[in-house]
Amino acid sequence: MSLPAIARKDFQETVRSRGMIALVALFSLLVAAFAFAVRPTGGNEQFATEVLLSVFIGPFLVTTLVPLVGVVVGYNAVSGERESGSLKLLLSLPHSRADVVFGKVVGRGAALALAVFAGFLLPGLVLIAAPVAFNAGAFLGYTVFAAALGVVFVAIAVGCSAASSTQRRALIGGVAIYVLFVLLWGAVTGRLVGAAGPLVDALPVSATQLRVFLRVSNPTTAVEALSNAFLGEQLFSGDTANQQLSAAAMLVFWTLAPPLAGLLKFDADDL
Amino acid sequence: MTAIELRGVTKSFDDVTAVRDLDLTVEDGEVYGFLGPNGAGKSTTIDMLLDLVRPTAGTVRVLGAEVATEGFEIRRRTGVLPDGFSVYDRLSGRKHVEFAVESKDAAADPDALLDRVGLAGDADRPAGDYSKGMRQRLALAMALVGDPDLLILDEPSSGLDPAGAKEMREIVRAEAERGATVFFSSHVLEQVGAVCDRVGILRDGELVAEDSVEGLRRAVGGEETLEVAAAGADDDAVAAVRALDGVSGVTRDGDELVVNCASDAKTDVIASLEEAGVAVADFHTREASLEDLFLAYTEGDAASADVTPADSDATDAAQTNADPTDAGPPVDDEPTTDDEPTTDDESAVDEVDR
Repeated sequence: MSLPAIARKDFQETVRSRGMIALVALFSLLVAAFAFAVRPTGGNEQFATEVLLSVFIGPFLVTTLVPLVGVVVGYNAVSGERESGSLKLLLSLPHSRADVVFGKVVGRGAALALAVFAGFLLPGLVLIAAPVAFNAGAFLGYTVFAAALGVVFVAIAVGCSAASSTQRRALIGGVAIYVLFVLLWGAVTGRLVGAAGPLVDALPVSATQLRVFLRVSNPTTAVEALSNAFLGEQLFSGDTANQQLSAAAMLVFWTLAPPLAGLLKFDADDL
Repeated sequence: MTAIELRGVTKSFDDVTAVRDLDLTVEDGEVYGFLGPNGAGKSTTIDMLLDLVRPTAGTVRVLGAEVATEGFEIRRRTGVLPDGFSVYDRLSGRKHVEFAVESKDAAADPDALLDRVGLAGDADRPAGDYSKGMRQRLALAMALVGDPDLLILDEPSSGLDPAGAKEMREIVRAEAERGATVFFSSHVLEQVGAVCDRVGILRDGELVAEDSVEGLRRAVGGEETLEVAAAGADDDAVAAVRALDGVSGVTRDGDELVVNCASDAKTDVIASLEEAGVAVADFHTREASLEDLFLAYTEGDAASADVTPADSDATDAAQTNADPTDAGPPVDDEPTTDDEPTTDDESAVDEVDR
């Protein structure tokens, strides 16, 4: 089992990059700026933690910036080593190609999660120390969802990287992943459902159910659904419990399937 | 036991056949020098030993196990210094060796290994700051982790200065004394002559000779090398010389013809040239150097005169391959191959070797 060795190596390498420090700084800065925007004014001592998270940090930071960072961290994981030649050094040691792909998902996912935690918690510590009623539990929990979303995008991008024989292809793939999942998911799936109307009618599900399914199939909206339920204190309960379960299942799917698909191609390639 | 065993191995890429029907056996404990010009298929062969590249046909066995299915176990017992690798720029030299130790589940001391390859003072620097020679030493340290049964070194001396190359040879010798099998490739015979038990010469993907360095020297160097300053020698004259009894190879080097021949054939060579209307300005003889020996196998047609051919098929094929001095197929003619995807072309090496 050499997956941990590769994961550790990749983690150390990723956290040593200059981009990592910039990322933590950027997250901290944005969280701090948003927190300042929703600061309690006048005699009101109640800090609007939920507003901060679901109105500001959620849409601006988590569902747009975190996926982008995930793609950037993951897209060159395998193809970069392949192009530079360090993959030769890696594979001359006793590692299977599966160890390489999944070790990189773990190592880089962990590095990104660390960046998210550090970036969110530095301003969070200030809020906890400040004389306001800050809901630290909600804030910390939300950070976990943000990190999880980042890990999912790292996994998708690493899978794409493993399937790409060149850095250029991996980059194109990474951009495509971001555009599809973050920018165009609703439009693309809406079109598909519209075009496949007659087929959908034949299925034993309603068009609405299908739309809901497609909505939670997207990792960003899945995390959004879960984190909003968490903030509403209805995680895996209430009216949307089933929807939340499928959202969680889809997140697991997106963490495992793309690296597996990439591995199939990577395993068959001459390097 | 047999450390390396290739049977009928062929590897074709889209438009190039890098290795052709190769049979190769390296016994346990042997130091084997794998020689050939750039693009002859050495790196492709080594990549197949490491399961980086899968053969089109044939079987590859290393340390008694099938590479295709037991690569993991094989690489636990093998140390590899790859060619054309790069390091992890942000990780220190020590981290690299630690990674190899952890990967191999070995109980080696990274600092002792770094000291052995002369990198003790640079262990904490990021490997991205290392020179080419230092990177080569670092990869060697990683290869030595866990006292491997087999060392595969691809062009180990590249990037090393003469002192570094000497240290590399000393390490190879020490590893062989420990009982390890060493398989290494080079395009320079001088580097391997001193340490190898046996040498195999690869040309255009085929093994054209396999023997001890002494044996190869006897096969070719029992003759003399005649250097003739003959500016006007055309292809016909060269062909006439080559057709003479006792002549094993002719190569043209500018205005000079270099003829490998039996010592009693020297006068025939000169006579034949004069007969063909070539003015012989000067000529002298010398003993074959390792360099000539190598060139005779990789460029000339000495392979056909080899007394211990590695493989009769390969020898036949080498014989039908035109000599570079022929106006025949441009495959062997270096200046004309620049844009062609032949295996002789340096620029094509990367492509072919992947």
